[in-house]
Amino acid sequence: MRSTVATADDAVDFEPTEGGLARVLGLIEARDGAGVVAAERERREAALRRFLDTPTPGPRPGRGWRHDYDRLSIPGVRWTAGEIVLPASPFDAVAALARDADADVPALAVENAAGLVHLGARVVRAPASSSLPDGVLVVPFADAVREELDGVDGAPATDRFAALAEAFQNCGAYVFVPDGTVIDKPIQLVFATPEGNDEAVFPRIIVRLGAGARATVIERHVGSADAFVCGTVRVDAGENAELDYVAVQQAGENARVFMQRSGDCARNAVVRFHLADLGGTLVRSIVDLHLASEGSRGEAAALFFNTGFQHVDLSTTTTHHVGNTTSDTVVRSAATDRGQGRFTGNIVIEARAHGSDATLRDDALLLGKRAHIDSVPALEIAANDVKAFHGATVGSLDEDALFYAGSRGIARAAAVRMIALAFFEPVIARLPSEALRDEVRTALDHKIDAATELDG
Amino acid sequence: MSEQRGLVARDLRVRVENNEILKGIDLTVEPGRVHALMGPNGSGKSTLAFTLAGHPNYAVTGGSATLDGTDLLDLSPDKRAKAGLFLSFQYPAAIPGVSVANFLRTARQSVRPDDLTPAKFRKLVFDRLDTLDMDPAFLGRYVNDGFSGGEKKRLEMLQLAILAPKYAILDETDSGLDVDALQSVGRSVEALRASDEGNDIGFLVITHYPRILRHVPADVVHVMIDGRIVKTGGPELAEEIERNGYDELRGAAGSLQAETAGGVA
Repeated sequence: MRSTVATADDAVDFEPTEGGLARVLGLIEARDGAGVVAAERERREAALRRFLDTPTPGPRPGRGWRHDYDRLSIPGVRWTAGEIVLPASPFDAVAALARDADADVPALAVENAAGLVHLGARVVRAPASSSLPDGVLVVPFADAVREELDGVDGAPATDRFAALAEAFQNCGAYVFVPDGTVIDKPIQLVFATPEGNDEAVFPRIIVRLGAGARATVIERHVGSADAFVCGTVRVDAGENAELDYVAVQQAGENARVFMQRSGDCARNAVVRFHLADLGGTLVRSIVDLHLASEGSRGEAAALFFNTGFQHVDLSTTTTHHVGNTTSDTVVRSAATDRGQGRFTGNIVIEARAHGSDATLRDDALLLGKRAHIDSVPALEIAANDVKAFHGATVGSLDEDALFYAGSRGIARAAAVRMIALAFFEPVIARLPSEALRDEVRTALDHKIDAATELDG
Repeated sequence: MSEQRGLVARDLRVRVENNEILKGIDLTVEPGRVHALMGPNGSGKSTLAFTLAGHPNYAVTGGSATLDGTDLLDLSPDKRAKAGLFLSFQYPAAIPGVSVANFLRTARQSVRPDDLTPAKFRKLVFDRLDTLDMDPAFLGRYVNDGFSGGEKKRLEMLQLAILAPKYAILDETDSGLDVDALQSVGRSVEALRASDEGNDIGFLVITHYPRILRHVPADVVHVMIDGRIVKTGGPELAEEIERNGYDELRGAAGSLQAETAGGVA
């Protein structure tokens, strides 16, 4: 097991510019030597160029939406090369982390911290291979690159922020589950930025399931720092494999989080993305599911609840490349205070994908007069003989339900809370364990406590 | 504050969107008694129910409503429930995402805080489910979400039995029920009235047809037409309505109106 010690000198101010990338490459060169960097320089520079040249689709600044993706400025955030810092006792490091970070985050409770834990861009805990079933890999992304593991070299990113993540990539994880292996315990990938860790975190996560394998992977973002997280996730499910990929994002209230997650399913494979974007001030979440083999199924279930000044921009695209594929997308979003949200849901059924079955359902709840959520569903169907359903609503709390609860002695404030929390249940119910369901319910409950306006 | 026991309306007048619907209702439901309130569609029966329960769309323009001397009109709907009022809705709202079990627990805890241990509460719920011939799987479903008409009414009766209020208004509980469901509603009310918690409940049973009164026999029958109670009598009044309909009484309402108008002139 390698172990390196990082110092404060290992960091530079993060800037999404050519000068910023040059400084970043300087740090990598100091660590790995010029020879290694030469190979990487070209790739990272090309990625940065794509970032600078690609326009960002998504909401433009205006009434309500305050952020401009094209003028992203991230002052005071530091970039490190993200070494692996494994202390003598990883257990102690995780315990210390749990004390530093938000105590309400169950991921950081010592007994639950199975998996890979990042502090900023540094890996502070990695699971011993002896603690995992035979052949299962859960390794820091840097190790996967060094060992040239299968699928580590993905195609260049086309999305603007995925390109930025590629240019500045400094951490991440590689998960592999061999053919026929079923893992009962979820694999957790934790990205923690506690107070004082105002870091630029650029994770790359790769999850590969062999034929017939089954697993649950939980990606978590926690911490109270004003961090900038920008990363990509790519999951591949082999024939008949089944993957639940859960992302619970509880970054700090001033954090900016940009994640692009994509999935590919082989024949009869199932990939389910579960997203709970709860933290951060500006969040851009993208899900891209590809169903390119018969019998494959993709699901995306997402929720967000924007309070304070939170902006969340969620976009899902499910592409049915061949027939006899099914997909199901369900989104529940709510906003109050000055919260702004946008959901873009795309279903694409290609010309030869006869017999595809796609469902897209999204409902938004407005709890404050100045809150706003846009719903932009789009169905693009080029095949005949397909089933495609789409439904969307944006509304406020049901007064009849509030009166009904009142007539049973439940005070209005309690009824508002009960009905607003219940609104998220169709998404929560799909989470793969009761522990996760309770965790998300508790987090939403805390958000309701923090909201100033709930009865708009 | 008057000390009069009962659910009491005095000259209660109510407007909905500038139409006067209740034109001076006088009614007293005593503890332990069953009052039936009958009348044709549109006579204002449900308006009276919603007004007593505190629906925000019903504006009281005159008169009073009290529950054992407590002024109801100043209270929010939940405080009226805490004072001991229960309304069984004709069309209860769905609350997707909230399970029946959770809703029952929250409601009981709001109305009668901490009076039962969780084990005793559980036993109460299962006993009442049994009386109503309801499957315990009901508890896991979301409140009224995708329920049939009959299931909704049974859930109303289940809540009545679990909250055991001082006064219960049953608004058209019989509408949309088949004979079996009606019988189990009758059994449930009977069991509740025979229990320690429920033997003193005063009922106001609102109905269009007299058939529910065969399952929940009334002590007193009132007939409401055009926002007024035009006749009050014993159970025989319900039989009379079954035979003759409301036409004769409608005539009485007309002459009452003429009388009132004459009085004013």
